[in-house]
Amino acid sequence: MEDSRSDDPNLNPIRNRNPNPTPNPLSTIISSAQVWPTIDGPLGLTEEASVDYARRFYKFGFALLPWLWFVNCFYFWPVLRHARAFPQIRNYVVRSAIGFSVFTALLSAWALTFSIGGEQLFGPVYDKLVMYNVADRLGLSGLA
Amino acid sequence: MDRNQRPRSIIDSLGEELIAILTPVSICMFTVVLLVCILNSDPSSSSSASFSSIATAAYSESDSDSSWDKFVGAFLNSLVFVAAITVATFVLVLLFYLRCVKFLKFYMGFSAFIVLGNLGGEILVLLIDRFRFPIDCITFLILLFNFSVVGVFAVFMSKFSILVTQGYLVWIGVLVAYFFTLLPEWTTWVLLVALALYDIAAVLLPVGPLRLLVEMAISRDEDIPALVYEARPVIRNDSRLVQRRVWRERRSSQNDNDDIEDRTNRNEVVRVVRSAEVDEERVGSSERAEISVPLIDRRPDQVENSETFLEGIGLGSSGAIKLGLGDFIFYSVLVGRAAMYDLMTVYACYLAIIAGLGITLMLLSVYQKALPALPVSIMLGVVFYFLARLLLEVFVVQCSSNLVMF
Repeated sequence: MEDSRSDDPNLNPIRNRNPNPTPNPLSTIISSAQVWPTIDGPLGLTEEASVDYARRFYKFGFALLPWLWFVNCFYFWPVLRHARAFPQIRNYVVRSAIGFSVFTALLSAWALTFSIGGEQLFGPVYDKLVMYNVADRLGLSGLA
Repeated sequence: MDRNQRPRSIIDSLGEELIAILTPVSICMFTVVLLVCILNSDPSSSSSASFSSIATAAYSESDSDSSWDKFVGAFLNSLVFVAAITVATFVLVLLFYLRCVKFLKFYMGFSAFIVLGNLGGEILVLLIDRFRFPIDCITFLILLFNFSVVGVFAVFMSKFSILVTQGYLVWIGVLVAYFFTLLPEWTTWVLLVALALYDIAAVLLPVGPLRLLVEMAISRDEDIPALVYEARPVIRNDSRLVQRRVWRERRSSQNDNDDIEDRTNRNEVVRVVRSAEVDEERVGSSERAEISVPLIDRRPDQVENSETFLEGIGLGSSGAIKLGLGDFIFYSVLVGRAAMYDLMTVYACYLAIIAGLGITLMLLSVYQKALPALPVSIMLGVVFYFLARLLLEVFVVQCSSNLVMF
């Protein structure tokens, strides 16, 4: 079923980034001068649903899911760009971005230490931890 | 009237919509060919498949059999496989009839997690092993876990970033297709042809399970949750702006004795993905229906899981073209199997499949109902593969070794 129509030729279907400092009430999706909170523009969520989404993703990301935080920031990219438009969503998205950066910094610090340090730094523990040895031990790499 | 506009709108923006559906298909095929070339170039890997699945249940090919034996064995394998798929589809129809939609959705999410985590993890381990990449297991597990869980969100939730969902669907297609290319050679080719024939039967015959599913969905005006790739709807300036993007995801499975955890990779069974999608769109009411066929996965200890992907091609309610994930998978299997011979056959099969897809899209715009997307492309692909292998290669090799061409 097709829900609504817009005849505005200015409506960019893929990424709507029309800057608009005054957000309209989102119960009717008609005006083309509206800023959409999601990166999909008019195909994405409405603002009320977005708050719920952003909050849920933010909370789920604490289960060791920095990638979810990143997807959250990616999806709500217009919220980050237009600073004043969506205060509630922005709260969660900014916190997701911070969480993602912190987690990535920690994880990459560990991964880089491991891969660059190698055997010299870790000694025998290196052989126990490195993935291809673990795979060999568990028989994972001999598929076909 | 709108009814007259709809056929025109397809043809008007046909180029844009065609690219929107050809790009992910090409990416999927390209990735599978890349994986095949990288992971199969190791000469120490054994040629006999230590790989059991439902598709090799009747006969496992060995190098010493005669051609006729191999052909008969492959034929039996395909029969078993298609029979299993038919049974699974009918179970799916039954479940949908009994309105167990929540169960289907839950199982779909669960299967997505298994495919992404398990098959994805295996592919990544194979790649790490091949390149001796110095990653440690903790980081690897965290990354894999992240990837899988977000993938489950992407296929499970209806409103999610279009790009991310499309990416994950293509990636799931790549994973399953790669595992299908590990089947023995004769079995693969006969299986592809058998599935193309099955697709025609299931979608177009009145007693076909996919058609039943579609009709049920239409009569109830419900969505069938299934794994379908939907191209981003094109919003044209002159026509109506479609607000709703419809994603349908579904997986259904039959679990006898579910024993996912202690599966070993040596006996890893490839899931077979089969689906058909029937999509009917009428202007004005924009009703949609989808058919899906189960994905079957059987372990040696007779655990049977099935998932459904949608295959076949249709139109979304937003006018965007929808292609079932099973189509992605089997196109990629064909091209991947061609890649195991030579890149020349890859080019030939790729062009054949794209041509078949184009023909199917044109038929779609003519008939305005859901069509099976497999038959034309698979038939063209198989014909071109054998022509290229038997005739073209000799010609090209002679020409280039005598410096006549290339």
